[in-house]
Amino acid sequence: MQRSFNTLTLALIPVAIAINIAIGQIIVLLKLPVYLDSIGTVLVGLLAGPIAGLITGGLTNIIWGVSGLNPQYTPFFYVAAVIGLMAGIFARLGWARTIWMWALGGLITGVVAAIISAPTSAIVFGGVTGAGTDLIVAALRASGAGIMQATFGQGIVSDPLDKLATFVIVWLIVRALPLRLRVRFPNAEYLPK
Amino acid sequence: MTNAFSLYTPRASALHRLHPLTMLALVVFCLVAGLALPGPWGPYVVFLLLILPLAALGQVLPNLLSTAVKIALPFAISVFLIQGLFWTGGTPVVELGPLSLKREGLWFAAQSTGRVLTVVSSFLLLSLTTRPDALMIALDQRGAPKTLTYIVLATIQIAPRFQAKARTILDAQRARGLETEGSVGRRVAALLPLVVPLVLGSIIDIEERAMALDARAFSRSGPKTSLLTLRDTSAQRAGRWLLLLGMIAVVALGIWLRRAA
Repeated sequence: MQRSFNTLTLALIPVAIAINIAIGQIIVLLKLPVYLDSIGTVLVGLLAGPIAGLITGGLTNIIWGVSGLNPQYTPFFYVAAVIGLMAGIFARLGWARTIWMWALGGLITGVVAAIISAPTSAIVFGGVTGAGTDLIVAALRASGAGIMQATFGQGIVSDPLDKLATFVIVWLIVRALPLRLRVRFPNAEYLPK
Repeated sequence: MTNAFSLYTPRASALHRLHPLTMLALVVFCLVAGLALPGPWGPYVVFLLLILPLAALGQVLPNLLSTAVKIALPFAISVFLIQGLFWTGGTPVVELGPLSLKREGLWFAAQSTGRVLTVVSSFLLLSLTTRPDALMIALDQRGAPKTLTYIVLATIQIAPRFQAKARTILDAQRARGLETEGSVGRRVAALLPLVVPLVLGSIIDIEERAMALDARAFSRSGPKTSLLTLRDTSAQRAGRWLLLLGMIAVVALGIWLRRAA
């Protein structure tokens, strides 16, 4: 782990986790139907690669939970880790060079997140989040869907949209970064022009 | 939101004096037991007979209870309504006009609420009684990578500053006329002027952080001195092994009870 990171990546990760948390909380304040709590994770995936993205995502949920502020996020740490991993892989595939491919990467990440978060959501949390999107769960249950299907249904409605927005925001931010900083990250050659 | 990015509450209690790894083992045991024991009663037994007495021993019972209830209540309301009313093919117990609460749904909701309560309160117990820096140093001494220690501790220090920065940017943008209330469309449009300055500003800062790390020989290998020393006893070491065995036992008990049912 120590070898594969340059110091810039190491300095970036805690900042990215703090970005996840700060923006995640602004969104709650603005009462928006998205989460946007993985902007930092996707940013690290894009700038520093899949492993750094994976660590950023996983640690975000663990720190957010173990600090006692949002303990309900911790069981989903593996979902956040996969989001960072996928952002890193899509970046290495060169998908970040155009916004269209990168947006598609966001949609795919959202679908994967919905699929892998559903079991934990159904088993630990009874399929609900205590937020507005629970109406979707209610509607699906009322029309005869099982708990797992209804939970997945809720995820597949909200996650792809959320990750699409996250990926696009990150892309715009990275394009605005000064060149002298961009070239110092491990993924410099894969970044948007 | 509080200033410090941790709920740690200093008390002169026996729990606070425990080695962080013992505390961690205790909390993981609560988590494992809460999720392994079957039925709606399993998680509640762990919550009432294990987590609450421990919180009382740590003199943090009011803090734990109020935070746990605040987090678990929206889940509980949602899960009781949704799974209670819309359980497919359940036995109705309470008629509410055209709808009815189903017995199976309520049973499931009670179990889910118990699990949420156990998961949330286990983490709260850890954060209320264990200093995050002590926990990370303990992990570091057991061979966890230094990188991990740095990431976690740096995050805990900068997260509150970022929250304050986010708040400042929100206020600044509002002051120059950005509308952050109203329709969903308007609130989404308000997002970029908030997110971009926060992220751009902080990424530009990291160059300085990286230089600071290099200047302090962070990537140098070999032993390093820590200002914080931890006390560990052989009794606690034995206790941690017992807790580990206990976790295996409680998982086995859970499987056996499920088979027997």
